[in-house]
Amino acid sequence: MHISEGILSAPTLTVGFAGTAILAAATMRNLDMEEVPKISVITAVFFITSLIKVPLGPASIHLILNGLVAVVLGWRAFPAIMLGIILQAIIFGHGGVTVIGINSLMLGGGGLISYLVWQQRHYFNFKKRDFVFGALAGAIGTISSGIVLAIALVTTGEAFKAIAYTVLAAHVPIMFIEAAVVGACAEFLQKVKPDILAGQRPVKITG
Amino acid sequence: MALDIDRHANTQSPLQRWDPRIKIFSLGLLIIFIALLKTIPMAATAILLAIIILIISALPRHFLLHGLSFVLVFLVPFFIIMPFTYPGEPAFRLLGLPFAWEGLRLASLIFLKALAIVMITFAIFGSSRFDISMLALQHLKCPKVIVQMLLFTYRYTFVFLEEMRRMHTSMCARGFVARTDMKTLRIFGHFIGTLLVRSFERTERVYKAMLSKGYQGELHLLVTFQSGGHDYLKALVVLSIAVIILYGDLSGALHTAEQGWY
Repeated sequence: MHISEGILSAPTLTVGFAGTAILAAATMRNLDMEEVPKISVITAVFFITSLIKVPLGPASIHLILNGLVAVVLGWRAFPAIMLGIILQAIIFGHGGVTVIGINSLMLGGGGLISYLVWQQRHYFNFKKRDFVFGALAGAIGTISSGIVLAIALVTTGEAFKAIAYTVLAAHVPIMFIEAAVVGACAEFLQKVKPDILAGQRPVKITG
Repeated sequence: MALDIDRHANTQSPLQRWDPRIKIFSLGLLIIFIALLKTIPMAATAILLAIIILIISALPRHFLLHGLSFVLVFLVPFFIIMPFTYPGEPAFRLLGLPFAWEGLRLASLIFLKALAIVMITFAIFGSSRFDISMLALQHLKCPKVIVQMLLFTYRYTFVFLEEMRRMHTSMCARGFVARTDMKTLRIFGHFIGTLLVRSFERTERVYKAMLSKGYQGELHLLVTFQSGGHDYLKALVVLSIAVIILYGDLSGALHTAEQGWY
């Protein structure tokens, strides 16, 4: 879900850009040169998987996957999501140029919250752990973006309240689909290539 | 391919011959000014302006229409929802729903502004090669690391898209049909996971090759920017139009009733 051009007022747009600048600077601290290609790869995958259509009854929806980016990149998910949004604005005209700030804040911020949730998995130990926490990260990434979007709309004007509720309601089915996809993906990566996941801790091998 | 915005970068037009740095700066300012408009007549002027810029850019029509069709899908819901949910006294009832002209006005305003901005964005980035636009951004003080990542991402996108198509074909060949059930979602999860692992390993190889050829965090292009008097003249024209539009909007010369917004 993107917010479109031409809706938000100048103060909201400015807050979006300021917040994005601060979070981008904070999450890109001590960026190693070697990380640049890694972040770019995930951004590219994030960018093209947003083209995948998932059938939902008669309609179909597009995946957002900001939770998945967080599961793979950790705090660096924020710049990755921001880059994806910049490219979408430039190439597709999705969203738009003046809303890059607020859109990054919305999806990237959701990603950061997802990462916090994903990290909680270290406190648990059960068989389906990676699926469950991947699913939680996916769901929370989606719904927190929906909430930020709704807040941005409501603060813009009374007239946008109904749109805000509609948008928030539309995020609920997406949330469940994202949860299933991100959970399956996290479980798969844990099995196949665990070092690609963010926030891994060394495993203690006991006799 | 829809993603390929480089395709028409070599068309000859005044927009292509414009120094990309000055082009991005002045049309970017125009976009910001359009985003601030609040009255319909000025938003309509902005659309007219965007159409003129696109005609000057000489980009082929099918290329633009394809891009704009995405935007239209996003904007249609506003027309459906806003007129019926605008708070206050409705003008009349349509099929039992309260219909407010002010809601329709807001929806149209959003529609006009969004369309104008997207059209101008296409004109900016469709009229130069992507790497040159990015280099221009770097000259405009955009952080180097962000420009690097945008360039990488843009290049990888095409490779991975091809990879994704291949994987999808092989999946369908084995009898996969997308349905609304858990199994489909799990398969999509594994599909994306495979795509991630494959892309990741490919990039590691590419990165090592780049390092061995002396990559140090910067791509060197054989491009130098040159700006002359006519570049600044074009910028002056665009910026004066931008200021006139915003002034016309703020002065309220063409103001219509406005409530409940801003």
